Amino acid sequence: MLRIKFVPYERIKEERFKKILKDLAENTIVLVDAKLNAKEEAALIAETMRSVSDKFSGIELSSIEIKSKKDNGHYGRFKNALIERIVGKKRGMTVLGPAKIVQKIKRNPEELLLYM
Amino acid sequence: MVIKRLRNIASSIKRLFKKKKDIKIGLYGPVNSGKTTLANRICMDWLGEEMGNASVVPHETREIQIKEKVSIEDNGKNLTFNLVDTPGIATKIDFENFVKVGLKKKEAKQRAKEATKGVIESIKWLDDMDMVLVVLDSTKDPINQVNITILGNLDARNIPLVLVGNKTDLKIADISRIRNAFSKYKLVGISAKTGENINELYQTILREL
Repeated sequence: MLRIKFVPYERIKEERFKKILKDLAENTIVLVDAKLNAKEEAALIAETMRSVSDKFSGIELSSIEIKSKKDNGHYGRFKNALIERIVGKKRGMTVLGPAKIVQKIKRNPEELLLYM
Repeated sequence: MVIKRLRNIASSIKRLFKKKKDIKIGLYGPVNSGKTTLANRICMDWLGEEMGNASVVPHETREIQIKEKVSIEDNGKNLTFNLVDTPGIATKIDFENFVKVGLKKKEAKQRAKEATKGVIESIKWLDDMDMVLVVLDSTKDPINQVNITILGNLDARNIPLVLVGNKTDLKIADISRIRNAFSKYKLVGISAKTGENINELYQTILREL
């Protein structure tokens, strides 16, 4: 059985990855409804390293940004930046999997491939 | 966008003042991309001594290593900096992988523990860098989360960077994959092991910083 859990981005900000890492250590794949920014990814990696044990070797993660062709122009970029600032999160998705289950996540522009 | 520009100006001013004291150039990258081999190459070329041990066993470098006052020069331009070799960044560290390469279980667990601390240290040190050489293995697919996270963090901190496509001496090396994946960054293909194209890297450092 493979468990997949959906976690809202807002909860990550509140709990600072601790709950997510607990889920990952229990062999759950976690989906987050936003793209983590670079500093959050680095903080998550650091927190993961603090959690590594004999039983939990770490994670695989990948984020994907949702963009349409309209988003590439100056107006599109400005609009998205404004929306992200108001909403407080980047449009997209982050997939996190325990390294014992997910060996690799390959990222194409519009899809994520999980190798298990 | 205006905020980003202001941040860029602020960090440029900060770097300008820092330049007069001590410049730190960091070697960052995933595990086993050849950071320490490059650090040794730079130190041998300009100081006549090596910096640390390089090994095919992952996570050989588990602590930050600094070589002070490395001076490089080319065509009358010169630069003195502190070279910072960092442990490879990873999202997973399994002690069993060290057992597979011949370490005893106890040693493997200890190495894994030290390696996790090393990754945390590498991330912490990002803020202190004036320039970063992101060392990537040109025989491997460059599109992975570790590389994306390193580059994203350097961008977020407005730290100048040069991509170093290492291991070009190997037949399966393919620099074009790095160029295609991260086209917005300056890229230099080298072999830290043989010294191939290393002068271009020195010229690039002098130009970019």
